[in-house]
Amino acid sequence: MNVIGKKVRKVDGQELITGRAKFAGDYRFPGMVYGSVKRAGVPAGRITKIDADAARQLPGVVDVLTAADIPGPNLIGVLPPFDQPLLASDEIRYDGESVVLVIAESAEIARRAAEKVSVTINPYDPILTVDDALAPDARKIHETGNVTFTKKLIKGDAAAAFEGADVIVEGVYETSNQDHAYLEPETVCAVPGRRITLYASCQSPFHIRGHVAANLNLPASSVKVVQASTGGSFGGKDDVATEIGALACIAALRLNRPVMIAHERAESMIGSNLRHAARIRCKTGATKDGKIVARDVNVLLDGGAYASESPFVTMKTLIHAAGPYTIENLFVESTTVYTNKTYCGAFRGFGVPQVTFASESQIDELADKLGMDRLEIRRLNGLKAGDANATGQVYQQSVGLQETITKIAESVETSAPTTEDDRYLYGTGYACVAQGISNGAEGVDVTGASVQMSQDGSVLVGIGLTELGQGSRTVWAQLASAILGVSLDRVSVRLVDTDGVHDSGPTVASRSTTVGGMAVLKAAEEVKKSLVTMAGLMMKTDAENIELRDGFAILKMDDNARIPIPDVATAAYWTGFPLMNLAFSKAPDADYDHDTHQGDVYIAYNYGTHRMDVRVDKLTGQVKVLNHLAAHDVGKVINPLGLEGQIEGASLIGFGFAHMEKIRYRDGIIQNANFADYALPSIKDRIPTATIPVEDHNPTGPFGAKGAGEPPVAAAGAVFANAVSDAVGVRFERLPITREDIVEAIERGNHD
Amino acid sequence: MNLHFICNGQAVQIDVEPNARAIDVLRDVLGLTGTKEGCGRGECGACTVLLDGKPVNSCMVLAGKLEGRTVLTIEGVAGADGSLHPIQEAFLDVGAVQCGFCTPGMVLSTKALLDENDSPTIDEIEDALSGNLCRCTGYGKIVDGVLEASERLAQGTQEHGAKP
Repeated sequence: MNVIGKKVRKVDGQELITGRAKFAGDYRFPGMVYGSVKRAGVPAGRITKIDADAARQLPGVVDVLTAADIPGPNLIGVLPPFDQPLLASDEIRYDGESVVLVIAESAEIARRAAEKVSVTINPYDPILTVDDALAPDARKIHETGNVTFTKKLIKGDAAAAFEGADVIVEGVYETSNQDHAYLEPETVCAVPGRRITLYASCQSPFHIRGHVAANLNLPASSVKVVQASTGGSFGGKDDVATEIGALACIAALRLNRPVMIAHERAESMIGSNLRHAARIRCKTGATKDGKIVARDVNVLLDGGAYASESPFVTMKTLIHAAGPYTIENLFVESTTVYTNKTYCGAFRGFGVPQVTFASESQIDELADKLGMDRLEIRRLNGLKAGDANATGQVYQQSVGLQETITKIAESVETSAPTTEDDRYLYGTGYACVAQGISNGAEGVDVTGASVQMSQDGSVLVGIGLTELGQGSRTVWAQLASAILGVSLDRVSVRLVDTDGVHDSGPTVASRSTTVGGMAVLKAAEEVKKSLVTMAGLMMKTDAENIELRDGFAILKMDDNARIPIPDVATAAYWTGFPLMNLAFSKAPDADYDHDTHQGDVYIAYNYGTHRMDVRVDKLTGQVKVLNHLAAHDVGKVINPLGLEGQIEGASLIGFGFAHMEKIRYRDGIIQNANFADYALPSIKDRIPTATIPVEDHNPTGPFGAKGAGEPPVAAAGAVFANAVSDAVGVRFERLPITREDIVEAIERGNHD
Repeated sequence: MNLHFICNGQAVQIDVEPNARAIDVLRDVLGLTGTKEGCGRGECGACTVLLDGKPVNSCMVLAGKLEGRTVLTIEGVAGADGSLHPIQEAFLDVGAVQCGFCTPGMVLSTKALLDENDSPTIDEIEDALSGNLCRCTGYGKIVDGVLEASERLAQGTQEHGAKP
């Protein structure tokens, strides 16, 4: 049976549902000790003294490490030059900064000992806003200054084109920091030996290996990183896994004992990256018939203390600030600045949720000003195959935006009651999104994958991309199953172990199905060649007359002429036809001007249109989502169950971003680093997301597929804002739009 | 202190520190690492186990409280022969599992619910699982999984002619 497009169970579901899957915290090794760090506790300053005597004297404490104990450069990051220390040696740049690592016989003792470490810090006035950071006389958080990264996108002549606009809308839109809040806090376990092995809850094991080795001052080959079952990541388990992974390895080699470091929930929120808070000034001009002629956007991202993924998030906001629309004249400037707060980096959506909120708000404002239908203005300006997008890139295929709009338009039904009712306000919102798939011009985009068949016909797939819950392993298994004609239960996907799989680049940018899938497909095709050649010899016919299906090599013209695949594989092995292949998928070299940000960027885009109907309680501000439709062009659905899971899960993250979740700071200290005070959506907050797939074949993906993991976050966030704004009759320009904000807006409206 | 209780159908007798938490006894002493710690404050439900059939956050229960009682962890939900419980089958079939870290707690909270109430309403499902957070699924498929499991259990009961 061909499993492409069929609802299938997660191939790794059995281990997870029975509790047998091993997460990093589940590893146990003889003699294992535990690490805990002492954090700065103040957002800015200079260390003047570290006194760890009290900690050392605590029974059970086996080691105390400071920056001086790190063999390598004591730096990690994403884009060189790296700027983030594993342990701070002098400057303190945020409250959660790790300063001293304590190792003890139990996690509890390590934690208590870390609390006893005394770090004397000469405090500075913390720089807590982007404005303060950019002030001309601002203290420099890093030697390079307070601008982390700044870039411009220039297409046409926006300034001139505004002259010809009949209507112009302008606004300033703000979004807040969001925590990944994966249920598993970051955890690593380092086991010393001739080579050191790091079991890690992580997203990109090869990236970690490089940093661990560098900070150990050893070659990469002396470190092996094994991805443990990972309890969610969403972009969040890169930097921090590198930080604690390197620390655990350094301590393990010093002590010659296994070392586990497991974050507590508060550490996960304070000491690992967040989604960038943003302030976006946006101005859009259109003709009186609704055609957008110009847009000017200034994006300011609060990146916190370290660069992390900020350069790439900055770039992503540039490219996505136009949304999925043809805008001939576009000027976007995007800047990330350092502040004395928790550093910001990758989080599902990667800058796109922020700019999409601004963009989609303005599309509604334009429609209202012009008296146009809100969906119609999106259709009028929406990208089609053959159109040039924000970077001037033209796709001749797989631009399914219009189809997603059509699906949403067709779905329209009146869900609001026709009778007015005093308690509630009803509203409907729309939002469109485009999100680039692949690293593209942001960096190299190579994936290596291996496929091997045993003589019993079972298949093993190896790839350096990680399963984080998103179901990628299932997709890769489906691809191998489809090409090699064996049932899905005959296919296994290896755990990621840097010794056993090829470096496939980072597991980011919704690239696992598309770029990763292509590598699996190619490798499987090579193994298939051996099998059909062998079967052809066995049936005395040409290889092209053979197909692999249902566990057999079958003669195409005679279904009864068939040989079981294990027999073919065995014969192929004895004949010397290879049953294993390592293939590469490499995105075409981007033709891209990094000064103007014009050119070809990504191998594909996912396009989406969402509709949301809400009921707002005027007294409490409570929002009930009555209806949420999410249409996305995913090229080709590989596993409908996995796709729905991605769209539903991403949508609730978008909903949390737009309505509930906000990291609250006071004087640079996070006030709500726990699940009682940080409003993570619970089952009672869930929204009734219905997935509407659109399949506009993508030539760069396996079976025409493209990624889907990130785009719904942006669309769901923006559609919530538009739906609530529609209900309340007030344009909200700041996320999250909390119940309190809604009540306040309604009261303000009543007084006006 | 000496502790006796029934864990997943087996009598357990162990020596533990008086201030040990139930989750630590399960994970570190008994090696039952299917019980997960997500917050350590009883706010996420990942460490849910059934104590005399009732769901509790095992990070908030002192080990001493287990004395003489019956504990069910995720390791005890499937049959001894490895056959999955209908709740587990249903969760996998509807796609209620993504990263799987919240899953053991979700399954146990669901079991506690369905043991008491074989045909729960959506509201009752929400109430029963409101203490179990999940960041991956958006919860829709978890609700589907509970409904599917309740149907399968009802069918199973009919087939076997009597309530278990």
